[in-house]
Amino acid sequence: MAGPFDYSPAIVALPFLSFCVAVGVALSGRDLLPKGGALPGIAATAGSLLLSLWTFFAVSQGETYNETIYTWAAGTQVTGTLGEPLELTFGLLLDPLSAMMLVIVSLVALLVHVFSLGYMNDEGETGLLRYYAGLGLFTASMLGFVVAHNLLMAFMFFELVGLCSYLLIGFWFRRSGPPSAAKKAFLVTRFGDYFFLIGVVAVFATFGTAKFAGAGSFPMMASNALEGEAAVNTFFGLEPQAWFTVIGLLVLGGVIGKSAQFPLHTWLPDAMEGPTPVSALIHAATMVAAGVYLIARMYGFYAVAPTALAVIALVGGFTALFAASMGLVKKEIKQVLAYSTISQYGYIMLGLGAGGYVAGTFHLLTHAFFKALLFLGAGSVIIAMHHNENMWDMGGLKDKMPVTYYTFLAGSLALAGIVPFAGFWSKDEVLYEALVHGLGTTGGLGTALLVAYGMGLLAVLFTGFYTFRMVMLTFHGEPRSDTARDPHGVGWNVKLPLVVLGILATTIGFVNMVPVQELTGLHIDFLHQWLYGPEEGGWPELLGTGGAQYHDALFAEYGAGMDAAELSSLLPAVLSLGLALFGAGSAYVLYGGDDPDPYTDKLGPIKDVLYNNYYQDEYQVWLAEGVVLPLSKKADTFDQGIIDGVVNGVSSVSLFSGSRLKRIQDGVVTHYAAMITLSLTAILVAFALLGGWF
Amino acid sequence: MVPVKYYLLLSAAVFCIGLYGLLTRENALLFLMSVELMLNAANINFIAFSLQWGNLTGQVFSLFLMALAAAEVAVGIGIILVLYRNFKEINVTVPRSMRW
Repeated sequence: MAGPFDYSPAIVALPFLSFCVAVGVALSGRDLLPKGGALPGIAATAGSLLLSLWTFFAVSQGETYNETIYTWAAGTQVTGTLGEPLELTFGLLLDPLSAMMLVIVSLVALLVHVFSLGYMNDEGETGLLRYYAGLGLFTASMLGFVVAHNLLMAFMFFELVGLCSYLLIGFWFRRSGPPSAAKKAFLVTRFGDYFFLIGVVAVFATFGTAKFAGAGSFPMMASNALEGEAAVNTFFGLEPQAWFTVIGLLVLGGVIGKSAQFPLHTWLPDAMEGPTPVSALIHAATMVAAGVYLIARMYGFYAVAPTALAVIALVGGFTALFAASMGLVKKEIKQVLAYSTISQYGYIMLGLGAGGYVAGTFHLLTHAFFKALLFLGAGSVIIAMHHNENMWDMGGLKDKMPVTYYTFLAGSLALAGIVPFAGFWSKDEVLYEALVHGLGTTGGLGTALLVAYGMGLLAVLFTGFYTFRMVMLTFHGEPRSDTARDPHGVGWNVKLPLVVLGILATTIGFVNMVPVQELTGLHIDFLHQWLYGPEEGGWPELLGTGGAQYHDALFAEYGAGMDAAELSSLLPAVLSLGLALFGAGSAYVLYGGDDPDPYTDKLGPIKDVLYNNYYQDEYQVWLAEGVVLPLSKKADTFDQGIIDGVVNGVSSVSLFSGSRLKRIQDGVVTHYAAMITLSLTAILVAFALLGGWF
Repeated sequence: MVPVKYYLLLSAAVFCIGLYGLLTRENALLFLMSVELMLNAANINFIAFSLQWGNLTGQVFSLFLMALAAAEVAVGIGIILVLYRNFKEINVTVPRSMRW
């Protein structure tokens, strides 16, 4: 009988089909599709959503799927100590994590397609086929990335996602900003992906397979190798654990690039040059999620590499604080959201690095919804403001666009982490995990987690402040410009996605209320149960991707060697809630008036540093122009002078001797005859001498 | 019977005369004649060895060689005619354009 898993490849294929349709129609040059090609995209993503929900339902019944669909290259010989010949395959892995992510991605993609009707079609944009083709290809590649069952396939879709990001950021390619932002995004993420590619090769060389789950998958082999039950290839004479850390950090390079973590975060704020629905889909809810999803996907591998975990947590905590501080002073609504995206992905990294697999995944889930909501809300505001994004020109939009205001407010409360909105539960759990594991674990990892926790906690205060500064400036007070006094209306296709996401942003946190569970004793940590699976048998034993196994690996001696301190989850929750409320409250007090002053200007030089993003762009441009460029010029000189010199020198010997030797051939036939005679004589004499005739 | 070595000496003498002519003469017709001498030296060798071993293979080859010589003369005379048409003389050192 055909079950849901037989149709799962269609989840990926449908948006790809919509991409093909849009490209085909664009090539035909005729206006065959109504709405500029939005309808195939909407139909395809709706189909993907339905199939994803079906898959989700099947997974919730305890079924999972981990099969190879197509082997596109297979070796015949076993190399080294590897058990089997190498195989490069495409396949699906459908377990609770990927099923959850499928629903998130296809739902947000569907809502963004609908929103695009309002943002792109109704605003009379041209080139819509190109736009919807990009969205379709993006959705297909992201879904393909989510269901990938091995690291190489994941890498391929990871790159496709990056390509689509490039195409969509540069959608308005006739303006000056977007093409350069697109190039920047492409190059910066590619810089990280370079390390990822080496990591993929290292995984193949070490384990002979890149499968994520099941017996013989590389995270399982890593655990077995550390327990001393199996052998793997290691390189450079490193111990297995040290070598796994190296691989983990290499793959992390791709994650840092794609998830816009320090120091490769600089592309994301520039990517706001793209259309706002694209920002919502790609730069908030899904593509940026690809990086952290990859960590969650191969969490069994990171769980046995404590140094890599410490790096993840520190990068995450630092990025959370760093990006939040820059968000404090921005003028443009999308810039604030961009920095908050970077900051929130820092939290997810912090949660995953701190051993909070469920916490990190939970924040990934809630963030996908509330950040998509905020971006779409910002898009609605931008439509109303005739594409003016400066918050200082807004104000007073609360009464003019109530649907946008209340949904945006729900998203903002979730972002700031105010109870009971989604972000509170997930951010709190991330911080709680970092705290208890930091306190419980001895050694460098524990210290690293505590430092990361401290930075994450401080960032809560900043988050509350910049979020409500944004809300107050945009919606409250008196209108500060003519467009704000008479905003453009928005249609159902803008309001519907906002309402759906607004409800989700308010309620999605209820799937995992750990502090409430502690208070009441009710078993309401559904996401924990979802990701842990049944205790005996079932898919966790089959696939090895259950939360319980990750927990064991994290706490094992051979693994990360973590330990959790005994601590109630209530006190840290109250602490972070208090900080968030303090940040939000001070923003309310400062910016809540009818005509707020730009208070952040009073920070003086600090504001300049923050406003200029800590001069990160300048520093990276200097790095490229001042260090890398002279270095590559030197390398070029070496290449042209020495490498090419040797090659040219060898050939010039042949050329020179040829040009001299050819003078023998002077055209006089008698000389030829003499030459032949002499040569023959010489050969005869030589034979005679060697043959001993004399 | 005359011993075979006298035939070989004769053949070597004829060949050397031909070779000398080839290396020293500039007239194309003399050139051709020298080549004929060398060919006929080879012919003498064939026949001498045929006599020595008592079979007819060498003689048959000498017949082939005569036919070959006739063909060679035909081609050679043709070349000489073209040479004359182009340079108004048949000195082989004059045409020098067939080189690098």
